[in-house]
Amino acid sequence: MTLIVRRAAYRTAMFALALGLVVVIWETYKAVGPTDGGKLLGVRILPRTSEYAMPHVWDMLSRFGRPEVRGSDRTVLASVLAGAWYSFRLSVAGFVLGGAIGVGLAVLMARFKLVQRGVLPYLVVSQTVPLIALAPLVVSWGGKLEVGPFVWPRWLSASILGAFLAFFPVAVGTLRGLAAAPAASVELMQSYAASWWKTLVKLKFPTAVPYMVPAFRLGASASVIGVVVAEISTGLKGGIGRLIIEYAREATGDPAKVYTAIFGAAALGLTMAGVVVAVDVFVMRNRPKESTT
Amino acid sequence: MSAVNIKNVSKAFNEGKANQVDALRDVSLDVKQGEFVSLIGPSGCGKSTLLRLIANLLEPTSGEVTVNGKTAVQARLDQDYGMAFQQAGLFDWRTVRKNIELPLELKGWEKADRRTRADEMLQLVQLPEFGDHYPWQLSGGMQQRIAIARALAAHPPLLLMDEPFGALDEMTREYMQGELLRICAATGTTVVFVTHSIPEAVYLSNRVVVMSPRPGRITKVVDVSLGGDRSEDTRNRTAFFEAITAVREGLRGMHAAHVGLGNDDR
Repeated sequence: MTLIVRRAAYRTAMFALALGLVVVIWETYKAVGPTDGGKLLGVRILPRTSEYAMPHVWDMLSRFGRPEVRGSDRTVLASVLAGAWYSFRLSVAGFVLGGAIGVGLAVLMARFKLVQRGVLPYLVVSQTVPLIALAPLVVSWGGKLEVGPFVWPRWLSASILGAFLAFFPVAVGTLRGLAAAPAASVELMQSYAASWWKTLVKLKFPTAVPYMVPAFRLGASASVIGVVVAEISTGLKGGIGRLIIEYAREATGDPAKVYTAIFGAAALGLTMAGVVVAVDVFVMRNRPKESTT
Repeated sequence: MSAVNIKNVSKAFNEGKANQVDALRDVSLDVKQGEFVSLIGPSGCGKSTLLRLIANLLEPTSGEVTVNGKTAVQARLDQDYGMAFQQAGLFDWRTVRKNIELPLELKGWEKADRRTRADEMLQLVQLPEFGDHYPWQLSGGMQQRIAIARALAAHPPLLLMDEPFGALDEMTREYMQGELLRICAATGTTVVFVTHSIPEAVYLSNRVVVMSPRPGRITKVVDVSLGGDRSEDTRNRTAFFEAITAVREGLRGMHAAHVGLGNDDR
């Protein structure tokens, strides 16, 4: 246990160090770089360092504490937190949905080689469809869908797009994991005359866990990206994606403001990944330590 | 009724194709209840294949395998045998006790009964205090003892072992051989044991079956007359060395034949 704590402390320290390094590079360039950028043969090769292009880090941070709009009681921090929380819930919904679909597909593909050969190429192709093109389609399909008392809420479209990105790494990682059981263990289960289902539950899923954890981690961040992009491209209100466009419109007058929303989105992604890491540490607590890296 | 009966069994892989391999040809063997029989031979002689045919993990191309008077399929479905491999193959995510309980779980035993039996098995392999440990916290020899406990948990009349001590160092190996004999004597289990160590086969067995490769056949059966009560002193007895010589000659005989035919010596 102390090993886990020490490793966590080390990782946190490294993360803070990396963050600090980015701040130092940003501020150093801002201090020494040309205000109007550097041009070579008429092509700008160095970014501008003016207040509009590169606000000071402390300006971005202090912007959190000031009102969102002049004369309002609501600070930017409150808005960003509310937006991030809204998007977080959509991302979790998308992640859960995508994770379930991904695991389900992996099980089907592992069971029927024919399904694997038929479906896997389409899964790969599905990830090459640009999300921005897909988002309005999903919204319009959803809008036409009404099953009895169920009316398609607008937020569900964003979650669906999160799930669309999240299911892929989960399906591929789980499929690999399900194939990872050693031949001797499979023979052992056969020697017990264990059914396919029992072999799946007692052998294949447990061996797949070390493969599924990184897949879920990728899926969690993918879900956040899907939700934020869907919010931006469909203009869904309430989430961090909408805040990013709204604040970006004010970039000329209030350049630090858009960065607060970007920080919010980054924090959202980190939180999602963090939740999965915590689950990882929990489920892997009794495994040999080499495989938990 | 014999524990295992193999009648004119042949096994070919990739049958009818250009890369057909005759793993076994016309093998017949009868193992009596309570007997300890070792299969020995160079790699590729089909000894593991023969074990897998008994276990019904493979189907013979021709011939018949009966286990406890049943077809091999029925014996597997009834879990009439336990199996142990070179790698202990314990499940990392289960405690030692839960590993031993695995075959009982699959048989649908009640939780309390499973636990009682698992504790009995831990006593039998003399690791009673390790029930709550995880396999990776145990040494290789201890893991192999747990694998034996797992194989015997459901009290099967037959134990099939595929080079179970092959990955252990010499000291642990000899200790484990003694342990296996003690456990088999205590439970009356019939054992079919695959190995490529001559002293191991002789020390453990009532009969040593010598096999030759390409295609796998039984070339010689050596009766080991060391009696039932074996200890470390057994390894110094004349009868022990005589049996070793007999097995070695069996192996060498076919080796010479191979060299004579101009084949490599594998």
